[in-house]
Amino acid sequence: MTATASSGDQPRARSASAGLQFALRLIALAAVVAFFMSVGNVNIGAIGQGLGYALAGVTVFLTFRVLNFVDLTVDGAFPIGGATCAILIVNGHSPEFAIIAAFVAGALTGLATALIDIIFKIEGLLASIIVITAAYTVTLHIMGGKSNIPLLGEETLISRHSKNFRNWLVEQFGDQMRRQSTNLLEIMIFGAIVIIVLLILYWFLRTEIGLAIRATGKNEQMVRATGLNHYLMIAVGLMTANGLAAIAGSMVVQQFGFADVSLGFGLIIRGLAAVIIGEVLLRPRSVGQLLVAAVVGMLVFDISRAWIFSALDLPTTDIQFVSALVVLAALGAPRLYDRWKSYRQRHSS
Amino acid sequence: MLSLEHVSVTFNEGTPNEVRALQDFSLFVGDGEFITVIGSNGAGKSTLFNVISGAVQPHSGRIELDGRDITYRPEYLRSHDIGRVFQDPRLGTCPGLTIRENLSLAAIHGRSAGFRRDVKAAHESWFFEQLEQQHLGLEHRLDADVALLSGGQRQAITLVMATLTKPKLLLLDEHTAALDPNAAEQVIALTEQLASADDLSVVMITHSMQQACQLGDRVIMMNQGRIVFEIAGEERRNLTPADLIERFHSLDSGAELSDRQLLG
Repeated sequence: MTATASSGDQPRARSASAGLQFALRLIALAAVVAFFMSVGNVNIGAIGQGLGYALAGVTVFLTFRVLNFVDLTVDGAFPIGGATCAILIVNGHSPEFAIIAAFVAGALTGLATALIDIIFKIEGLLASIIVITAAYTVTLHIMGGKSNIPLLGEETLISRHSKNFRNWLVEQFGDQMRRQSTNLLEIMIFGAIVIIVLLILYWFLRTEIGLAIRATGKNEQMVRATGLNHYLMIAVGLMTANGLAAIAGSMVVQQFGFADVSLGFGLIIRGLAAVIIGEVLLRPRSVGQLLVAAVVGMLVFDISRAWIFSALDLPTTDIQFVSALVVLAALGAPRLYDRWKSYRQRHSS
Repeated sequence: MLSLEHVSVTFNEGTPNEVRALQDFSLFVGDGEFITVIGSNGAGKSTLFNVISGAVQPHSGRIELDGRDITYRPEYLRSHDIGRVFQDPRLGTCPGLTIRENLSLAAIHGRSAGFRRDVKAAHESWFFEQLEQQHLGLEHRLDADVALLSGGQRQAITLVMATLTKPKLLLLDEHTAALDPNAAEQVIALTEQLASADDLSVVMITHSMQQACQLGDRVIMMNQGRIVFEIAGEERRNLTPADLIERFHSLDSGAELSDRQLLG
């Protein structure tokens, strides 16, 4: 053991400095983003919204990056989670219970995709499109046949504390804070939820099952040769991932104050953008860093979209187009940069 | 230990591309026995391994491991008793995970994965000792990403992983073919060491006549899904690569002759 202790010192020291570099990049990014927000006059509501969607970014990270499974189920699991949460709140259940129930509903959606992949050997892309198609009807049924459920006057995580928080804020900092009170409350509550979920996920990914799930995405053949049931790993991975998407759905529903059947539209591309933005800006290495990067990527996505909106003074009808542009920038910029770099190399020599 | 009785595997049955990869194939591997398998490409060697490990199911016949019928047992369950090393060094280890994580994964072998911590402090000295025996210095690089290692190093790690939890049978599928001569030699030395230390049965496919003579107690030559000849006992001990190449060629020219006769 003494030999291992001494040999372990150096890599551990190295990984500590890698962690420090990551933290520094994170702080630098936060400073840049804060600067742009203040210059561009971006409302801090964009942060709350990014936090609401953040776990959907983690979903895409888990499916595309960890499991290496092209899974679009998030588009279906998100509204199913939102609908489950809304119907339970309307029927008088607590928001906490509603969120947990949403997780279960989302996990079952992920299980559906996994089973189609495992039983029929239909690849993830097609399997998840089948599930999204069916999920639309399931969402409508959960909402009792309506395409929209308003949560006005219901107790949600936000509305429960909003009045007290507003009064406290005005008392402490004066009347100018009144307008920001809901936004600040969202940031605090959603921030806490996201941090708690990330911590649980971090623990989970570092259990034996978590290790096996990570390995399944990297080398399925080896996982089988190691005597582990890779089907089980795919199923557990997809259930966890889409359960998180459903939690995000239930958070966004409580934020917007309504559930809608079309809530998940285009979410997959947004999650993908979040993952790539996080990877490009923070260059994460370890499991924990990758999780943080996915969340930060979603925040940057929402903030830059809000920035474009306020800079160009666009109407809200243009929101999907701007989303598409931000996604295009996130996906395209790294590729363009690589091509420019190799072009420079060719022509400099 | 391992016995295959009248096992047949046919691919694309009933089409013009029908391949009879194994034909009424029978083989017995005793406890602690080390068998080398040679044969030209398409002789059915890899199919033999796939059928033993469960990646391919036989059309007929019976496979027993330690007296237990495993003919239709799923691949991942069989892996509890069977360690495998593939030709491609990338297949046996997981890139993106550290050496420690890869070994931890192998240490789960034979159990089902649970909510225990993936990397355990209790395993540290075990991993260290296993890697120390290889004299590759990898025991000091437990936190290195496997993707950064050379093919030989990855193959050495794969060997350790495959034998970590003491399986009954080790299948080596040309596991040195993709390595440079130096690394191949090291991996072969490690193979001999691991095979002799545990009372482990080993079946090794190789294209190197040198290896086929150097390692093991018995040589099997396969062609068109059958065993063409077997060399064991006294004859095997005196076997030289030259003998083996001669017998290999005598077989080849026989096939060539019949081809020519057919065409002529």
